[in-house]
Amino acid sequence: MLLPFFLRSLEAAMIFTFAGLGELVNQRSGVLNVGIEGMMLFGATVGFIVAQSSGSYVAGFLAGAAVGLLLGLLHAFFSITLRVDQVVSGMGIWIFGFGVTTYLGAPHAGPLGMERLQTLFGISPFVYVAVALTLVTWFVLQRTSLGLALRAAGETPAVAEVSGINVTRLRYLATAFGGLMGGFAGALYALYYNPVWNYNFIMGWGFISLALVFFSMWNPVVLFGGAVLFGLLWQLSLNPELLAVGVLSRYLWRTTPFIATMLILVVISTGWFRRRWGAARPQALGQPYIKE
Amino acid sequence: MDTDLWANIQPGEELLAARGITKRFANGVLANDHVDFDIRAQEVHALLGENGAGKTTLMNILFGYLQPDEGQIYLRGRPVRFNSPQDALRHGIGMVHQYRKLVPAHTVLENIILGHPKARGVINERRAAEEIAALAESYGFRIDLKAYVWQLTEGERQVVEIIKALYRGAHILIMDEPTSALTPTETEQLLQAIERMTSSNLGVVPFITHKLPVVLRISHRVSILRRGRIVATLKTAETNERELARLLVGRDVIFDVKKPPQEPGEPVLELQNVSALSDKGTPALRDVSFTLREGQILGIAGVLGNGQHELAEVIAGLRPVESGRILFRGQDITRAPVLERWRMGIGYTPAERTEVGSIPDFSLVENVALNHFWDRQYVRSGFLDYGRLRSLTRNILDEFKVVAAGPEARGKTLSGGNLQKVIMGRVLARKPRLLVANLPAQGLDIGAIEFVQQQLLAARSQGTAIILISEDLDEILMLSDIIAPMYEGQIMALLKAEEADRETVGTLIAGGQVRRSAG
Amino acid sequence: MKVGSRRIGFVRRDTISGWQAFLISTVSVIVGLIVFSLVFVVSDVSPLTAYREIFGYAFLSPSGFRLVLNRFIFLALCTFAFLIPYRAGLWNIGMTGQVYMGGLAAYGVVYLLGGKTNPNLEVSAWLVLPAMIAAAAAAGALWAAIAGFLKDRWDVNEIVVTMMLNFVGSFIVSHMTKEGGPFMNRGGGSEGFPLPTSLRAPVFADIPFTALFVAVLAVALHLLFTRSSLGFQIRAFGMSPRAAQYAGIRTHRMGLLVFLLGGAIAGLAAYHQFAAVPGVYKIPRDYEIVGDTAFFGIICGLIAQGNALASLPVALLFAAASIGGRAAQGKLHLAFGLDFALMGVLMIVLVGFQFLYRYRLAFRAVGVETPPAGAEAAAEARGRGSEA
Repeated sequence: MLLPFFLRSLEAAMIFTFAGLGELVNQRSGVLNVGIEGMMLFGATVGFIVAQSSGSYVAGFLAGAAVGLLLGLLHAFFSITLRVDQVVSGMGIWIFGFGVTTYLGAPHAGPLGMERLQTLFGISPFVYVAVALTLVTWFVLQRTSLGLALRAAGETPAVAEVSGINVTRLRYLATAFGGLMGGFAGALYALYYNPVWNYNFIMGWGFISLALVFFSMWNPVVLFGGAVLFGLLWQLSLNPELLAVGVLSRYLWRTTPFIATMLILVVISTGWFRRRWGAARPQALGQPYIKE
Repeated sequence: MDTDLWANIQPGEELLAARGITKRFANGVLANDHVDFDIRAQEVHALLGENGAGKTTLMNILFGYLQPDEGQIYLRGRPVRFNSPQDALRHGIGMVHQYRKLVPAHTVLENIILGHPKARGVINERRAAEEIAALAESYGFRIDLKAYVWQLTEGERQVVEIIKALYRGAHILIMDEPTSALTPTETEQLLQAIERMTSSNLGVVPFITHKLPVVLRISHRVSILRRGRIVATLKTAETNERELARLLVGRDVIFDVKKPPQEPGEPVLELQNVSALSDKGTPALRDVSFTLREGQILGIAGVLGNGQHELAEVIAGLRPVESGRILFRGQDITRAPVLERWRMGIGYTPAERTEVGSIPDFSLVENVALNHFWDRQYVRSGFLDYGRLRSLTRNILDEFKVVAAGPEARGKTLSGGNLQKVIMGRVLARKPRLLVANLPAQGLDIGAIEFVQQQLLAARSQGTAIILISEDLDEILMLSDIIAPMYEGQIMALLKAEEADRETVGTLIAGGQVRRSAG
Repeated sequence: MKVGSRRIGFVRRDTISGWQAFLISTVSVIVGLIVFSLVFVVSDVSPLTAYREIFGYAFLSPSGFRLVLNRFIFLALCTFAFLIPYRAGLWNIGMTGQVYMGGLAAYGVVYLLGGKTNPNLEVSAWLVLPAMIAAAAAAGALWAAIAGFLKDRWDVNEIVVTMMLNFVGSFIVSHMTKEGGPFMNRGGGSEGFPLPTSLRAPVFADIPFTALFVAVLAVALHLLFTRSSLGFQIRAFGMSPRAAQYAGIRTHRMGLLVFLLGGAIAGLAAYHQFAAVPGVYKIPRDYEIVGDTAFFGIICGLIAQGNALASLPVALLFAAASIGGRAAQGKLHLAFGLDFALMGVLMIVLVGFQFLYRYRLAFRAVGVETPPAGAEAAAEARGRGSEA
């Protein structure tokens, strides 16, 4: 009873992790992407349709990741090249994703109808990939010249530029990565975790991932911890009988991950956290870089 | 990098030569007009020029930010063209910026290796640290590579920039206002470091606005840039301060702002043991106490970052007081909200003119309204009287000789000096009893500086008590009735203007001890 | 980009006139509609036919136009709910949740009076309708105030919070109206109980009196932001919180203020949608689709650049697209969500156009550069200019 619950929670966590790592790298380069929900919706819906019509999971995942990548590039083009306010661009991508996928997916509403993907020791192999990617991301950010340059671009882009770093290229790269990860996370959601297309079925996971990145204070390892926490919470909200039987309606239980998201944002904003980790915020986050 | 380029340098050899550099901007401004300039090995060749003389343009051309319309740059006789700062860097030109180009959240080591062609892929921190330490050692620099840049003093940050340039293989070091943010002690250390650097075949080009003693002390040659042209290149040993000043300005001119004697009136502001924290939560103000009277100017002298900013914000109500009391005309305002202070007659002109003092996307009328939107004169039953605000704005534009398209122009279309005039005019229109002027003349050109200073004296003669925060000792000495040197959040002494001299104040702002004069 | 001896570049605009803003917004909508034609082309429908269907139904058929006007009232109110915080630099994307809470509160009043069990309830509409409206506005305001309070107190990201509140609100509606929830229709079906006939909002020519909310609020908001001291303070805060704080504006209450105002208007939208639109008069089973329609408010507010009056024609256009789109869906055998797709495409086109509010195309001779930014460069330019 408990073991499947934990395994399932880990599978939810891997989706938060992929989406969150993309957003984390994105933000470390100085570009905020509040439209990750839209990228996930796109990745999920396109991945779902492609897999269903081609009968190939691989095609579905590739399509989901590819559409995410394109949206990432679009966000980069808007916010880096055109210098549109990053929040406006992100909001645009979210509404774009929400609107268009509602229309695209509607004829495909219902279950995927494919044999379920194989598991490895009871969980999706992608869980292990998520763990590995977390460590790799940490290593790249902290121990390589690429990571150093990326962090510098997010802190003080003008300084990075005079040090010989092409901030624009780096931010494009990071934003494309963010989109790729968001699209892939969406595809994973739709092709494995919850393979039933439904109206707006990403259910705010993109926004929760965004909150997890703030919570992580831009540290991939902490992000993974937060993802596991939310995986557990999400599963618990679907199975309240594990904790309490018959108390409150199942609908009220489902509000808990969303309330927890808000609580976590409050907690990390209180003085105690601000003093300790406040300096971690990329100083140029949200600001377009304009070459002198 | 082109390694051959810098092999076998002979002392005194010409390293870089700029010939006939001309740069014209789209608006027709001729910023550099056939500039000739060269730098030799083991030499410090200072470039002296006022704001607006074309200094920044020349510097940007030498460092690859801008490309000249005409003229040619030669490195050891070979013609070169820099397409970008990186390009200049690859050719051995290093730049030490006035406003440090460092990442505060990163360590010294990370800053030095950032973007270095050798640091590709996985970073070998130990090897890099060893190399950098050896390099720093050879020039006599001491620096903790593991420290975060935000923890460093301004002087230490400059050292980091110098080491970064040298580690990149710079043979020519361009330094923008090298002594501007340094304490006298740090300045002394820098001058020694420059001497050591020049003894090893480097060329150093400091760009300096008007610190003539520094020029005389460190340079071997000096070129004076005026209105885009090099008006003279002299051997430093054969010139003097007066000649340089004349060449710099083009006429015999000295600041001529006269402070008339005046009897101070009633106490206006009293601080009693006020302490406050910085944005980072560290102590920024420690036990600050003083009394300021009507018609007095209190000059807060010091190197930026020693609590002046926090002092201004505490008085304006923008920063909470940790302990102590603030009295305004006898009334305790320690916890009074900002608006109440404005109503009581406390005016503040912030140093951050575009971030705090004005709203770039607002029209000038709206920017003026920032200090009047609550005043019954300008509000009727909740609605702003834009007619009156517009005529007030027009008056300010006329009286302060602001160059602007009109009251509806956006704040961002104004130059720094004109914006400062609008802010000053708007605050002075309130006829404040107390004015806190935070770096009022910083970054302005000479005309605007004089104007702002005269406005401060005019307000003083009408009985306004003024707190003047400035990094410029001459300005402080010229305008203040009482001088308060600040160091690490403390007021080191309260000196009467008659008793203060450059040396005493200079020692006190560097944390030095002097015989205590006035209490 | 080079063309002959000229270079096409972008130059930052210092100011933009109302006329220019209007032009850019109009062009962005037209381009959006053109881009959206692709959807029809892919579905093998002629775009012209499709748009004729959509806007023909919306504006030319009397039944369609009535629906459009009702939808317009809802969207205009949601737009106002968005744009008050927007003028303060804050994003309210929680109109959906605020609408849910407003709807529940309005029906809560009816529930307390026994309206659930007695569809022929005899009460004075003069007393109960104002109570329903007030309850809806208060509930929307309080729900939104959570985001405002958290923003003020701890600087919590209001985008995430309002979005989370949408989901929480949605589940609360499910809890109340489904699976035996207190507001569930007695006749079964997962929807709210119907409004007693006596409590239906007054209707004039098929248009509920809630149209007055739109008219009054549009003028009020316009005056607020162009004339009033409060509106000036909100705008100052939106452009520069630090400058606002310096000027003595009560910045530590600003989030609460604008979210209370915005949420209250979203509550009014809820009252209109669930208790005033002829033919609805209940919280329907597919309340989520209705709730998410509130997102149109974001795009209307953005196209109108935060201007309440300018947002009215935009809201009307989207109301027409929304109602006409639903109708065309069936007729042209297109999938569900055509209107949402249009919203998405217009939104992304609009984002691209944002650029033009701040930059304009310019032609310059090759090789001429503008002086670099910075005080000294400006000083340099002036110094040399006066000499010449």
